[in-house]
Amino acid sequence: MERPLSPFMFPTWYRFQITSFLSILHRLTGIALSVGSILLAWWLIAVAAGGQLFTATHAFIASPIGIVLLVLWSAAFFYHLCSGIRHLVWDLGYGFQIRDAYRSGYAVLIATALLTALTWLYVFLA
Amino acid sequence: MAKSLSLTSSTALRDENVLRRVRHLGSARDGLKEWRLQRLTAFALIPLGLYFVASMLRLATSTRMTATAWLASPAAALLVILFVLAGLAHMMVGLRSVFLDYVHTRARLLLAELILRAATTILAGASVLAVLKLFLGR
Repeated sequence: MERPLSPFMFPTWYRFQITSFLSILHRLTGIALSVGSILLAWWLIAVAAGGQLFTATHAFIASPIGIVLLVLWSAAFFYHLCSGIRHLVWDLGYGFQIRDAYRSGYAVLIATALLTALTWLYVFLA
Repeated sequence: MAKSLSLTSSTALRDENVLRRVRHLGSARDGLKEWRLQRLTAFALIPLGLYFVASMLRLATSTRMTATAWLASPAAALLVILFVLAGLAHMMVGLRSVFLDYVHTRARLLLAELILRAATTILAGASVLAVLKLFLGR
């Protein structure tokens, strides 16, 4: 039996909320970091193997597209870290009021932006 | 629904539960273990992850320090191994939750989980092997 499909909920029918947005972003960054773990293992193996594999890997990482991927990966890492701490605080039982959830949500976004910016400023200025 | 067995009223509830377990229906009953592991690795990954990022920054901005030299020290090798193991365990539990949410056919779910566990194990083994090779210097 053909059932009617709901129209795409965001943003036409369902109001955008920081809580649900950060929640799905936590999942998306988790998936992105999981893909990144493959590259991490690749890098470790390349360092251990040395030789041609390492120089090729290092060349890719140092290339513009490699840098862009690293910036994105670091942003995902910092976001998942801050949002994860927010989740752990909830697990301990604090911060469930709507007002507190909104505040911690904005704090997570600001912390992520700060950490990512500071990290890459340090890389390019040092 | 499958054909029902004739159950006496006194043992009906217990027999139904036994039947459900034999048919692999109902909950897996060990979700708490995974939940705890997720939180445990999450706590561990806060310092381990920050250490890893800081090390990457040091490698990226230093002209003399190489990754090989860095991992030759036992502290660094240990922390990287712990980071990889905790991270992959955390990843496996997390991705399993994602699969459970989005894969609706049981056969596909089992296949996806099998691939996930195989890939995670291989990644963990390969990474630890690489770090050990660098630490032992062979």
